[in-house]
Amino acid sequence: MAVNPKKLRPYDQPPKVRGPILPNEPDNAATAFLVAALVWFLVATGIGLLWTALQLFPDLLTIRLEMPTFSGVLTFEISPATTTAGFWNSLVYGWLGNAGLGAVFFIAPRLLGRRLVGETMASGAATLWNVGLLAGLAALYVPQLAASGTLTEFPLPVDGVLLLALLLANAAFWRTFLASSERLPYVSIWYFGVALLALLALYGLATLASLSPLVTLPDVAAVLVNAFYGRALETICLSGLAIGTLYYVIPRAAGNPLYSWGLAMLGWLVWLGLSTLAPLATLADVSVPFAITQIGNVATLLLVVPAFLVVANLLLSLGGRWTLVLSPGTVSFAVVALSFLVATVLLEAIGALGSVRTLVGGTEWGTGVRLFSLLGTATLAFLALADHAFPRLLRRDWGGTLLAEATLWAAFAGVALAGLALITGGVAHGSLLAQGAPAEEIDGLVFWFRVVVGAGIGLSALAAAVMALNVFLMYTSGRRAEYAVLGDAAASPAAAPAAH
Amino acid sequence: MTVHTPIESRTRGIPRWALALTGIMFVAGAAFFATNLNGSNPPIIGTPEPSGGGLNAVSIIKAAGCQACHGPDLAGQAAFPSLHGVKDGPVSQNLQQLSKDHPDDWANLWIAGTDPAVTGIDRPVMPVFGGPPYNLTADEIATVVDYLKTLP
Repeated sequence: MAVNPKKLRPYDQPPKVRGPILPNEPDNAATAFLVAALVWFLVATGIGLLWTALQLFPDLLTIRLEMPTFSGVLTFEISPATTTAGFWNSLVYGWLGNAGLGAVFFIAPRLLGRRLVGETMASGAATLWNVGLLAGLAALYVPQLAASGTLTEFPLPVDGVLLLALLLANAAFWRTFLASSERLPYVSIWYFGVALLALLALYGLATLASLSPLVTLPDVAAVLVNAFYGRALETICLSGLAIGTLYYVIPRAAGNPLYSWGLAMLGWLVWLGLSTLAPLATLADVSVPFAITQIGNVATLLLVVPAFLVVANLLLSLGGRWTLVLSPGTVSFAVVALSFLVATVLLEAIGALGSVRTLVGGTEWGTGVRLFSLLGTATLAFLALADHAFPRLLRRDWGGTLLAEATLWAAFAGVALAGLALITGGVAHGSLLAQGAPAEEIDGLVFWFRVVVGAGIGLSALAAAVMALNVFLMYTSGRRAEYAVLGDAAASPAAAPAAH
Repeated sequence: MTVHTPIESRTRGIPRWALALTGIMFVAGAAFFATNLNGSNPPIIGTPEPSGGGLNAVSIIKAAGCQACHGPDLAGQAAFPSLHGVKDGPVSQNLQQLSKDHPDDWANLWIAGTDPAVTGIDRPVMPVFGGPPYNLTADEIATVVDYLKTLP
C-alpha cells in the first residue's frame, strides 16, 4: 500500500539518528585545532596591531570602562599593559598552541600507522582549550580578574580548563603512540612527545606556583619560576612542535626520503638537552649561583648546533626538488621557517654574550628576537603544515594559488620588518643609554622604530587574513578530492599516497 | 583499512661531519663556560604582590617600559637614577624639594607626569607616565610605588 508522506503523523516517522556531540571521525581533532588556530592567528595579529598602536599613542587610545557587577565595579581596560598581555597570550596559546596541537593530531596518526586513539578525547581537548582561551583573553582586559606574570595572567579557573585540555591531548597522543606497532617511530614523534609532556608539566607547575593558599613561594622565587616558564615554553614546547612539523612536511611535500635518520636523532638528543638547560639563563638573580645562569647562557649559545643539524638534514632531503622552494607551497613556507630558525638561534646566541646583554638588556632587542622565534620560525612552520594539511582535511583539490604566495610573502616580510625594527631599535636604544642621552631623545628614536614594527605586524595580520580567505575559498570553491584517511574503509589503496 | 606510509631515510647512520661539528662546538662551549665563571647576578626585578591584585607591579613596570631607562634591575644606568632605596625618600637631588612639599605621595606625583591632576607641581625630569587618560592609572602608580618602596 502506497503511503502519502504528507499524512504521516510524528510518531509514524522513523526516529532521527542523532550524531554525537563531539564527532568521532578521523581527523576531526586536527581539523578543529587547525581551523581554530587560523581564527586565533587573525585575532592575535589584530591585537598585535592594537599593541603597536598603543605603544605609539598610549594617551590617545587607552580606554577604561567601569562595569557595575554584583561583586563590585569591574574595570574593562584597553591599555598598553592589558594589550601587551593580550597579544602574547593570543599569539602563544591561541595561534601557536592550537596550530601545534593540530599538527600533532594530523601528523601522529599518519606516522604511527593507525588512526588516533581517542579522537573524541582530542576533539574535547580542542573545545576546552578554545573555550578556556576565550575566557582567559576576556579576563586579561579586566585587571581585577587577571593574575600576574608573563604568559601566566589567566585566572585560576581558566588555568584549570586549559590544564584539563592538555591532559586530554596528551592522553590521546600517548594512547595512539602505545597502540602503534612502530617500535622506533619517525623523529617528528619524538619532538612532539617531548613538547606535549613539557607543555603539560610546565603549565601545571606554573599554575601550582600561582596557588598562593596552597603553595607560598618566596616572592623572588615566584618571579624566577615565571621567567623560566616563559623561556622554556619557547625553547622546548613551541620549538619542539615547529621542528617536528618541519621534519614531516618537507620530506612529505618534496616526495623525498629524509636525508639521515641518525642525524635527525643526534639533533633531537642535542636539542633535548640544550633546550631544557637554556631557560636557566633567565634565573638571573643574586639568590641563584652565577654558574647556573652561565650554564643557561652556554646552552643558549650551543642551541645553534641542533638548529644547524635540523636545517642541514632537511635541506639535504630536498635534493633534486629545489624548484619547489621557488614555487608557492608547503616547501617554500618550510624553507622560510628554517631560515628564521637559523636567524633566531644566532641572535639568541649573540644576546647570551655578557657584553651584548649589558648593552641591550631592558631594550626592545629581546622582543624582536622573540618575534623572530614565534611569528617567524613557528608561524611559518605551521603555515607550511596548513598549506599541506587543509586540502587533505577539507578534502579539496587545492594548492599553489596566488593567495598562498601572498600569505608567504606577507608573513615573511611582516616578521622580518617588525623583528629587525625591534632588534636594531634595541641596539640603538642601548647605545643611546650608554652615552647618557636624554630621555626625550631616546623616546623620539624609539617612536620611529615602533612605527616600523606596526607596519610589520600589519603585514602579518594581512598574511593571516589572506590565509583565512584561501581556506574559505578552498572549502567553498575547491573541487572535491578524495584523500585516504586512516581508518577510512572506503578509501581505495590507490589513493593511499595522496593521504600523506 | 589503515594507510601507513612512513617517511623513509636515505641513510640510518650519523654523518661524520655532524659528529665532528657537534663535538667541536661542545668543547668550545665547555671552554667558554670554564673561562666565564667569574661574575654575579644582579637582583632580579620584581616581587609579585599577593594574589588577587590583578596585574602586579612587575607586569606594570615591564609594560610601561620603566626598565628601558632605569635598567633591567631598576638600579639605574647612564643618566637615569636608581629606583632602589626610595623607601624613606628620593635618592636623586632634583626630587628633594618635591619630597619636602609632598612627603606622603611624592613618588606618585613624580610618576604621574602630565596628568592634569598634578599640573603646576614641580616634578622635574620624569617624562610622561601620567594617570587617566594617560599611560598608568592612579591605582597602577600606587602599586608601582608600593613595590619600589620594597626594593633595598
